[in-house]
Amino acid sequence: MTLLRSFPRISKLFKLPRSNTTPRIQPQAENPPPQYSIRNALYVLSWAARGLLFTHLFMTHAYTISATLGPSMLPTFSVMGDYALTSKYYRRGRDIKVGDIVVFSSVVNPGETVIKRVMGLEGDYVLRDTPGSLRNEMLQVPKGHCWVTGDNLPYSRDSRHFGPMPMGLIKGKVIAKVFPWKEREWLENGLVPVNEAEE
Amino acid sequence: MAVNRVVSNFRNIPLRPFMRKTGYNLLIFASWVPAVIFFNENIGETTKITGASMYPYLNTSYNESRKKDLCWVNKWNPGTGLERGMLVSFWSPSHPDVLAVKRIIAIEGDRVFSRAPYPAPIADIPAGHVWVEGDNRDGNKSLDSNHYGPIPISLIQGKVTHVLRPWASSGPIKWAEFRGRTKVIRGRKEDALQWA
Repeated sequence: MTLLRSFPRISKLFKLPRSNTTPRIQPQAENPPPQYSIRNALYVLSWAARGLLFTHLFMTHAYTISATLGPSMLPTFSVMGDYALTSKYYRRGRDIKVGDIVVFSSVVNPGETVIKRVMGLEGDYVLRDTPGSLRNEMLQVPKGHCWVTGDNLPYSRDSRHFGPMPMGLIKGKVIAKVFPWKEREWLENGLVPVNEAEE
Repeated sequence: MAVNRVVSNFRNIPLRPFMRKTGYNLLIFASWVPAVIFFNENIGETTKITGASMYPYLNTSYNESRKKDLCWVNKWNPGTGLERGMLVSFWSPSHPDVLAVKRIIAIEGDRVFSRAPYPAPIADIPAGHVWVEGDNRDGNKSLDSNHYGPIPISLIQGKVTHVLRPWASSGPIKWAEFRGRTKVIRGRKEDALQWA
């Protein structure tokens, strides 16, 4: 209520008593009726638009929660029904490390959004095909690119198929799984140094 | 003398209502910032062209002055309706935080005769990618597809549609009249290499 009072034009629309009037010594005249007019409608609309655009800015530049779909990141994300919290601070590859789960615009289908895990950054040497296949080549990830794979290798279309990916496509990093609520967890970097894992 | 008068006028204004009104006005100003950012990222914005990769079409005075050309970039649906000859702005594959401006030479399904330092003499453009090159004939001055190969269409952020400055060359960019010297064998989009 007090917040609305600090916008005097809105106060007039909602029939709120003005806050800085003289003390009530005699009965005051009734407050004027709310002024319905195009001008006031536009005023409310402009604030609604500003609110919507602020939300849009927050979702594209700060954090967003979105649904995941597909089997390529099993067991981290189920085929459907999981929701991921994405931080957009890591846009275009800023501060991304190997092992992070990233959200990026699809290389294969322009317009779609894809979630995969980063397995190599620029300069790293990565295995070109699935481990165990006939070809054993490794290649070096070029400058400004990264190598992404899904956690579910047999059912994932990733850098093994479309090659190293420019980091300019990265929209953000998945930092947590929020829904289903029973399975919520902060998704830390999935890579563990070999010495720790053996203990 | 005059300074004394200005200062005394300031001291006569009651401070707290002044700060409140200023704060209120600043809040109103700040509430429009997301709208401006949305406009710049999704509808259109002006951009300065740095570098000589599009010389002599853009930055024609690159060798004479430090003035950069100013262009209007249309950001609405940048990945649709792409044609050969269009100028596009995209996140550079080599430097992800740099927006590069280059010309589309070939779209998916075409075959391009590439230049050094591309590792192969011919490049087939796969589905969802385009081949971009700078207009500068000097190969060293342009970091383009000859260095990093075809770029995914998702990287493209906008189409450069008008030149605003210098006034002499301002106007809509007539990309349809572009005659490049890169040899391109046009193909059909359906024939483009698809992904497994």
